[in-house]
Amino acid sequence: MSYQIKPLLKLHSLACASVLISSLSSCGIPADGDSVGELRGTVMEVPILKPDLVLTDTEGNFYDLRAETDGYLSLVFFGYTNCPDVCPVHMATLAGVFDELAPEVRDAMKVIFVSTDPERDTPDRLRQWLGAYHPSFLGLRGEVEAINAALAEMKLPGIAVVPGEHGSEPIIGHPSAVLAFGRDGLARVRYPFGVRRADWINDLPLLLGENS
Amino acid sequence: MNWWCFAQPGTAWTWQWQPLMGVWLVMVLLIWVYHRVLSRIDDSYESSRLRKSRRAAFALAIFLLWASLDWPLGPLGASYLASVHMVQFLAVGIAAPALLLLALPGAAYEPLRRYPRLTKALSDLTHPVSAFFIFNIMMTATHWPGVVDLLMPTQLGSFVLDAAWMLGGLIFWWPLIVPVPERPGFHSLGKIAYLALNAFLIRPPFAMMIFSASPIYAIYELAPPPAQDALNDQQLAGAVMKIGLAWIMFAGVLVIFRNWMLLESDRPESA
Repeated sequence: MSYQIKPLLKLHSLACASVLISSLSSCGIPADGDSVGELRGTVMEVPILKPDLVLTDTEGNFYDLRAETDGYLSLVFFGYTNCPDVCPVHMATLAGVFDELAPEVRDAMKVIFVSTDPERDTPDRLRQWLGAYHPSFLGLRGEVEAINAALAEMKLPGIAVVPGEHGSEPIIGHPSAVLAFGRDGLARVRYPFGVRRADWINDLPLLLGENS
Repeated sequence: MNWWCFAQPGTAWTWQWQPLMGVWLVMVLLIWVYHRVLSRIDDSYESSRLRKSRRAAFALAIFLLWASLDWPLGPLGASYLASVHMVQFLAVGIAAPALLLLALPGAAYEPLRRYPRLTKALSDLTHPVSAFFIFNIMMTATHWPGVVDLLMPTQLGSFVLDAAWMLGGLIFWWPLIVPVPERPGFHSLGKIAYLALNAFLIRPPFAMMIFSASPIYAIYELAPPPAQDALNDQQLAGAVMKIGLAWIMFAGVLVIFRNWMLLESDRPESA
C-alpha cells in the first residue's frame, strides 16, 4: 500500500518551516545582529591620550610608543603571555582579522602588545608567542612602574600580581580591553573581551576613516 | 559540581577532572530502563547471537553517550572546540539513537500497540517524510548560531540541546528500525533513498560553518586555549558533520542493502 496522503499534507507546515530556516541563512543579516556601518566598540566619553611611554621591543631596541605609532591606527593591549584566557583570545581574534583586511587598512595600523609580566615575558618568549598569532604584532616590555604610571594616566586598572594557588604560576591582573588609538593619538573607542572578528572587520575601516 | 557540560566563556581549560553527575545519572537511568524492559519481555525467539548483538549495541550506545557527554569531551565540546561539539552531535544525535533502538528486540515495542492513540501519534511522527523533516529541522535549529550561543552557556540549555539531538535521532531512525507501527510500503529501496538523501543533503549550518568568512559561534570564537583558530576549527566542525553523517548514513545503507539481498536470496524462485 502506498503512503497515506494525510501525513504528507500535515507535513506541509514542516516543509514551510524548513524552507524558512534555510532562507534565513542567506538573508544577509549579520550573525550577531549588530548593525553594519556603526562602531561596535565601546565609545568612551572622554578620549584617552596615548601615553608617553618608551619601552623595549623584542629585538632589544627602544620603542617610543608615541613617536613610532604617529600617524597609525594603533591597537594597544596590555597583557601577558601566560594569560590563560583574555590575552590569547584577543590576539587570536585580531590575527584572524588581519589578513582579511584590505592592504591599505592593514598598512595603516599597528597591533601592539605591552607585557604586564616582563619578568616571565622575555624578548624571546614574547616574540614567539606573538609570532604564533601574526608576525606583524609587536611586543614591548618595560618596567612595571612605568607601565603602571601610564595605566594610571589613562585611568585604567594597574598591574596586579595574584599569587598562584598550591604553587601554581601567579595570575597577573591587567586591563582587559584593547585600546584603539587613532592617527591623532587619541583613543576614543575601546574593545573589551568579547569583541569578535566581525566587530573588528566592521570597525577598523571606520576607525581609519575618523581623524585621518 | 556541575550536572551537565556547558559553555563557560572566558574560563581557561584545565585538565583537572570534573564530575558531571547528570551524565552519570542519565547513563544509570538508561541502563536501568533497558534491563527493566528486557526483564518484561520474552526474547527467546531470537537467536543467542542476535541477543548478544543487541546487548553489544546497547553497551556501545552507553559508551558513546558517556564518552561524548562526560569530561573531558563534554566540556571541550561545550566550551572550546566546535569540532569536538560536532563529534558529540554524531555520537548523541546519530549513532547512539540508532544503537539504542537496535538494542531492543521487536517484542519490546509490541506493548505500544495497546495504546491506539500513542501508536497513531507515533505513526505520524515517525512517518519517513515527517521524520525526515523533523530530524533536519532539529539539526538546523540546534546548530543555529543564535540558538547555540543562547543555550550552551547554561547547564539546562546545554541539556536541552543534547536531549533535542537524541530525540531527533530517535525519530529519524524509528521508521528504519522499529517494527511498530508497521510500514509495509516503506521498502528497502525507500529506506536506502531516505538514508542517501540525508547523507547528501546540504543543511544551512554546514554551509555556514564551511563558507563563512568569520566564526559563527561566539562561544567558540571567544574560547581560550586549547581553542586556537576558531575559523579553522569551525570549518573542521563542518567537515566532521558532513563526512561523519554521510559515513553513518552509508553504513545504514549497507546494512539495509545486505538485509534486502538476504531476503531476496531466501525468497523461493517463482516457477
